[in-house]
Amino acid sequence: MINELLLQFAHWMEAQQYSQMLVAGYYSYSWLEATHVLTLMVSIGSLFIIDFRMLGLMLTNVPASTVANRLHKPMIIGFLIMFITGILLVYAKPVETIQSLWFRIKMILLFFAFINAMVFNARLKAADGSWDRDPVAPKALRVGAIISLVLWCGVVTLGRYIPYDWVDCTNTNNSTILWAAGCVEQLSAL
Amino acid sequence: MSGSLLNQYVRTIGLVAILLLVGILEVFEVRTSIYGSLLPFFEWMRQSSWLGVIGTTYGSIYATVEAVHLISMGVIGGTVLATDLRLLGIVFRDIPSETISTGTHKCFRAALIVALLTGVFCAAGVADKVYYMQVFWVKMLVLLAGSCFMFFIKQPLLNSRPHAEINPWIIRLLAITSILIWFTVAATGRWIGFS
Amino acid sequence: MNKDSKWDDKEIAAVGSGVIILGALLYYWVGQGQSTVELLELAYGSFKLFNNPLAF
Repeated sequence: MINELLLQFAHWMEAQQYSQMLVAGYYSYSWLEATHVLTLMVSIGSLFIIDFRMLGLMLTNVPASTVANRLHKPMIIGFLIMFITGILLVYAKPVETIQSLWFRIKMILLFFAFINAMVFNARLKAADGSWDRDPVAPKALRVGAIISLVLWCGVVTLGRYIPYDWVDCTNTNNSTILWAAGCVEQLSAL
Repeated sequence: MSGSLLNQYVRTIGLVAILLLVGILEVFEVRTSIYGSLLPFFEWMRQSSWLGVIGTTYGSIYATVEAVHLISMGVIGGTVLATDLRLLGIVFRDIPSETISTGTHKCFRAALIVALLTGVFCAAGVADKVYYMQVFWVKMLVLLAGSCFMFFIKQPLLNSRPHAEINPWIIRLLAITSILIWFTVAATGRWIGFS
Repeated sequence: MNKDSKWDDKEIAAVGSGVIILGALLYYWVGQGQSTVELLELAYGSFKLFNNPLAF
């Protein structure tokens, strides 16, 4: 039922004037996608520096909380831009995107990455700070950093897979994949 | 005396020599003849080299390597922005800029190596297409110039003395140039993907 | 930097290469901007981002 609702929503978005304009524009979709990808340098860049610091891989002579606090704003700005451009990308090609298996898995990973970030920040605030100048953070924060790195690498990788049509609705007969990707029409035809 | 002058100004002399060489190559149109002779190599890369064969046969491997290329681009961007925004006095203002510039350089170097290796694989898969794209050659030129700038000019100067002893306008010039170099490499790379 | 503020090799090379590279990149991006504007004017008749007359 969720798949049917999502498909209906996607068709509704596709019929919107601004959705069609974004796709039909000479450069609009390309610039949107380019902004989304290039902003990785700001968002993922900042995030990875924080994670690498926690793991003792860089800036080990800078207090860990300082690295996290100073890079927090650029990271949030980067993610905000990626979030906005991401929504617009879905809005421009809603049916294709919502029925993409890779997009759906990417959203799940994004959700877990967000949860991990909340837990990480809470642990960072709760930690007593005695380790702040140590080259390596306490174990709980290191685990959070590794999970963060794995999840975000997954998000980027799945984002890269979206344009490929290997398991598109029209290219597979596997019922599990068709269900997972929300290919309602193809699943009912099986 | 001329020997000691050579030793004292090796980078400046090297820069002038490179500019002269580029000028001579342009005047005698060496670039266009070199370009023509590269086509067989690019065709071989795509059709016969194992990089090109794997890239064109297994789309999933190609896409995964592209993703690693993007992630390394993200790390390059992060280290460059952290260093250069510090040099411009925008972030990490309470941490000495020497600490940030030396602390991020190793990571930058590692990410650049990963980006280069994955970039070669990605280019091999579409070598016969990128050969004809002007934007690909622009990216290669900026990448070469940018890497030489980082390793032979910017980092040696920043490592040679406390930054307070360096003219602040030189520091700003280094930071802005570095940001624009890596933005250009990333943007032209994305443009290749669109073409 | 020497006390008499004479630039040394690294500083001269930094200024020289920085000015050349920055100048070349700015020239490149301004050129790209100009050709993009021209292309959009060719495609749409005037400079706009979308080909819908109701667009912002």
